[in-house]
Amino acid sequence: MALINVAAREIHCKIVYYGPGMCGKTTNLQYIHSQVPQATKGELLSIATETERTLFFDFLPLDLGKVRGFQTRFHLYTVPGQILYERTRVAVLNGADGVVFVADSQRSKLEENVNSLKELARNVQKQGKKFQEFPLVLQYNKRDLPNALPVPVLDKYLNPFNWTRFEACAASGPGVFDTLKGISKIVISKL
Amino acid sequence: MSLDPQLTSLIVPPDETAHIEEVLNRLVEETGGNHALLLDKSGQVIACHGDANRQDTTALGALIAGTFASSREVAKLLREKDFKMLFQQGVRENLFIALIAEQWILTIIFNKETHIGLVKVLIKKASEELATILQRVRQSRRVRDDVLGSSFRTSMEDTIDLLFRD
Repeated sequence: MALINVAAREIHCKIVYYGPGMCGKTTNLQYIHSQVPQATKGELLSIATETERTLFFDFLPLDLGKVRGFQTRFHLYTVPGQILYERTRVAVLNGADGVVFVADSQRSKLEENVNSLKELARNVQKQGKKFQEFPLVLQYNKRDLPNALPVPVLDKYLNPFNWTRFEACAASGPGVFDTLKGISKIVISKL
Repeated sequence: MSLDPQLTSLIVPPDETAHIEEVLNRLVEETGGNHALLLDKSGQVIACHGDANRQDTTALGALIAGTFASSREVAKLLREKDFKMLFQQGVRENLFIALIAEQWILTIIFNKETHIGLVKVLIKKASEELATILQRVRQSRRVRDDVLGSSFRTSMEDTIDLLFRD
């Protein structure tokens, strides 16, 4: 649920990057953090294990400055992808205004993607929201890998509702900002 | 048209912000605390009062809401509905966190000069007052365009295109 503070003239929105373990959610945030202007970004906060796997979440506040007199802020979160942490994902998903589902394009990861998307649907519905109408974009990540499945195959298994989807290589950057722009515009349209 | 409350923005009008700040102000004063924060459960800071030098309220909001959401899942595993209050004790500063009407989170940061019992009593009182105000805010249906102006979305999209790029 976005927050509009009329007195302080501020708008806050929450966007969550969701997906299976090692699909590149944190990498998306790291790339965004490395590229946006200094004045726009806050500190990238990561609650991770010693091996740099996300334990709770990553958090990146982005300040878009004043738009029509309103200071607008997007708060980006990732969830921990490992199966073990489902309850933690539920916690981070709380109150999200939009979700980016990051899928790992590799052939061997298809089942994990499908299961993670099903879990997301379940968790969104548990919050009393209709999954089909929930603001969501898909990102097919790791397109540069040789064992990446063709996009139509990923569409068949992961895109039942014809969501906007983006191809990306989060580690080097292509597609990361297209995805962020995509979800941001959907979130803004729902304010 | 009925709106999905989860997808409808919480629009806090200036007069209600003033009421909220008054409650936070009183809570800080009466407890002798350092800082009070009101968050929604997604971690957004609705209002804060106290130590003006705090630059980290945004991150604090995200982390406190995360802690609370995580404790809620623990509660469910223990077949509790929720933990209504959380206390975190540090060497210099302590945190007391209370859930308001299952939607919002009130936090007060205080040091060892303040007695925890007093915080407990006063945070409960403040929570009740805030619950009434927030309920009012939630029920007042405001049309987004009245607040943001109809051209907001176009301007916002232009800003997004300008800032979000390699």
